[in-house]
Amino acid sequence: MERIITRFVTALRERGVRVSPGESLDAVQALAIGGLSGRSSVKALLRLTLVKNVNDIPAFEEVFDWFFSSNQSNPGDLDPAEFLSAMIHIVEGEQLKADEHRTREKDDPLQIIDEDLTAEDLENLLGLEESDDDAAGAEIMVQLDGYRGKMNAPEPADYYMQSPPTVAFHQGVNKSRVVPFTPEELADMQEVVSRMLVRIRKDVQRMKEMENRGKLHVIKTIQKNYRHGMVPFLLSLRRKRKEKPRLVVLCDVSYSVSHATRFMLLLLHTLQNRLMHVRSFIFNKELAEITPMLRNMPVNCLLETIDKGDIINLDDNSDYGAVFASFKERHLENMRGKPAIIIIGDGRNNYNEANDWALEEIREKAGYMLWLTPEERDIWQRGDCLLDLYGSYCDRVETARDVDELSRLVEDLFHTLFDHNDSRAWKRDRHEPRVEEPAKELNYYNRPKAVDSPNCTQFSPSSKEWRDRYGTPYHKRR
Amino acid sequence: MITEQQVKELLRSGGYIADETIATAVFLALRMEKPILIEGPPGVGKTGLAKTLSTVLDFPMVRLQCYEGIDEGKALYDWEYGKQLLYTQLLRTQLDSYLSESTDLRAAVERLSAEESLFFSQNFLVQRPILRSFLSPKRSLLLIDEIDRSGDEFEALLLECLSDFQVSVPELGVIAAQHKPLAILTSNGTRMISDALRRRCLYLYIGYPEFDREVAIVRTKFPELCEGLSRQMVEFLRRVRELNLRKPPSVSETLDWAQVLSILHTKQLTPAVVANTVGVIAKHQADLKQVTELAVQMMG
Repeated sequence: MERIITRFVTALRERGVRVSPGESLDAVQALAIGGLSGRSSVKALLRLTLVKNVNDIPAFEEVFDWFFSSNQSNPGDLDPAEFLSAMIHIVEGEQLKADEHRTREKDDPLQIIDEDLTAEDLENLLGLEESDDDAAGAEIMVQLDGYRGKMNAPEPADYYMQSPPTVAFHQGVNKSRVVPFTPEELADMQEVVSRMLVRIRKDVQRMKEMENRGKLHVIKTIQKNYRHGMVPFLLSLRRKRKEKPRLVVLCDVSYSVSHATRFMLLLLHTLQNRLMHVRSFIFNKELAEITPMLRNMPVNCLLETIDKGDIINLDDNSDYGAVFASFKERHLENMRGKPAIIIIGDGRNNYNEANDWALEEIREKAGYMLWLTPEERDIWQRGDCLLDLYGSYCDRVETARDVDELSRLVEDLFHTLFDHNDSRAWKRDRHEPRVEEPAKELNYYNRPKAVDSPNCTQFSPSSKEWRDRYGTPYHKRR
Repeated sequence: MITEQQVKELLRSGGYIADETIATAVFLALRMEKPILIEGPPGVGKTGLAKTLSTVLDFPMVRLQCYEGIDEGKALYDWEYGKQLLYTQLLRTQLDSYLSESTDLRAAVERLSAEESLFFSQNFLVQRPILRSFLSPKRSLLLIDEIDRSGDEFEALLLECLSDFQVSVPELGVIAAQHKPLAILTSNGTRMISDALRRRCLYLYIGYPEFDREVAIVRTKFPELCEGLSRQMVEFLRRVRELNLRKPPSVSETLDWAQVLSILHTKQLTPAVVANTVGVIAKHQADLKQVTELAVQMMG
């Protein structure tokens, strides 16, 4: 029975459900206790012990139905040869898959870790002693051949691990522009986000602590305790007033950066009003605010809405210049405080007007400006990319190719935000090398002094400059 | 030994209609002595399950309500500093005579440290819920409610307690449970519980019940309500849940509504009845309108 469970667990893992060896042991134990009295009870037993997340339940149901299909018989005595071939198939499958990964993208060793684990776990589990109930499982069938389905198993993280050209190519060939999240992707990203949130939360707590500290405000304390005869019952501290940082995000939803945008949208969805005030916009040719939608809609619906082109027309090419101008015109005045602005996009302007003056004005209003691009630095100059120009107005321009990088960058940003929440601090820390303008020398008539030239000299022969240049040096004098 | 079917019957006798998964979970938890982590939307009977279990199985219930900032002093144990101080004060004369035999300071300190365990004994230990349930004279039911409200630190604290059923007190050593309690953790899913904790538990997701089960729940709680009305009611609520409300009505709302209808002696659902009692089902301004509109649409 352990073998069946082991293989079932492997199938689950292929489907993206994370099952630890300990949990499969639990499952075996549970089956030993609960017995194999009926299909639904076995299903319940397995589900209780193996699945530890709501989002994984549909995947489990699917795998269960397909793995234990009811038209085969006699599972108790599995043919060893058959079993071996299945094993080999599994291992081969892993190998094949790993090879596939290697050829597809050479720069990513992370992909293979999971597969390596599986074979090892398998062996560990096979080492268990046989249980008595082995022969009793009349209703549990194993469909060995159906197992090949795993080659087509969805690989949630793949889109984000690949470089943009690969993604673009893949999506261009067989997917629509902004594909709504599959449950696996959602789970995957939810995890990244939630782990990030845990780390960020510490910063928030620290900020709150900072808020509650402060020196004694003597005058206010005395005023407050006037009615107590100046005995300081109530203290008044000089608190550092801190407010939630404000964030404005501009996402390019055009085709070339859609995968980064998707992650960002999810991130925003989670962050919305939890840690900070976020206002989010999407654009390609026109600009639209999606803050209320983020608040009210599930992320999948929102993506579908965007995908259908209900908010902005997706067939347009992105026009950064027009977007910045309209942002400046319509929204900049309404921004409270000094928000940090994140722009996600590749800066490919399709040869439209650059309008960098608008970006400059936005920059003046913003406390901090970060540009995230999926492209590598060395192709920024090529084609219609204006990133060099736009980048000169930003505090930072960063390349974010996959989920990990993106989440790290955003986390970085939060650190900065919470550390110097005070917007003046960002300015102070920006280390702008102050360009010392040479003081213009004025002549007697308040005009700039003319430049001296060999033919025309303004200096009088009695001046030091004239003497230095034309005069006879002292040692040559007679 | 108890079986799944018996668990189901037991729960039914306590007024809790369980489906197969719930019954299996309880059965497994009893047999494997593993905690159950129950997740689900609010009001589907997560805490209710624990309460019913404690009455039907006759396990005394020890409840720990989690909140932000809960720590071991509130959940596991605490030292009773006041009592310790009081005892040292009261015992001062005894201590003086006891220590007067020793000639120098060093000997006195040694003597005193030999009796140190006196002051760090179970006598001065305040048992908080988890330890109390571990040390209770008979098997108890430990309900850790709304664990998603607590922090990560607290979750980490629970790991030892829930996997080995023991509490480590640095001054006393490890205190193992005398009877392993039936531990039930509930969560509303507002925060992801860490995988480490999930791994130690049986995971039970209780969603909104199926039609028949919900009708059965209403019928058991309010037998005076006629069959037709309860079916109509449940049908309507199922449609309401599909509406994408801000707070969809849950089983507890169903029961509230059933109570209201039985008090009003309603025989049949009409838009007017729904409009009058909508406050029981919908809990948001924006939801009220949607629900009444649906009622007109359905019963027109």
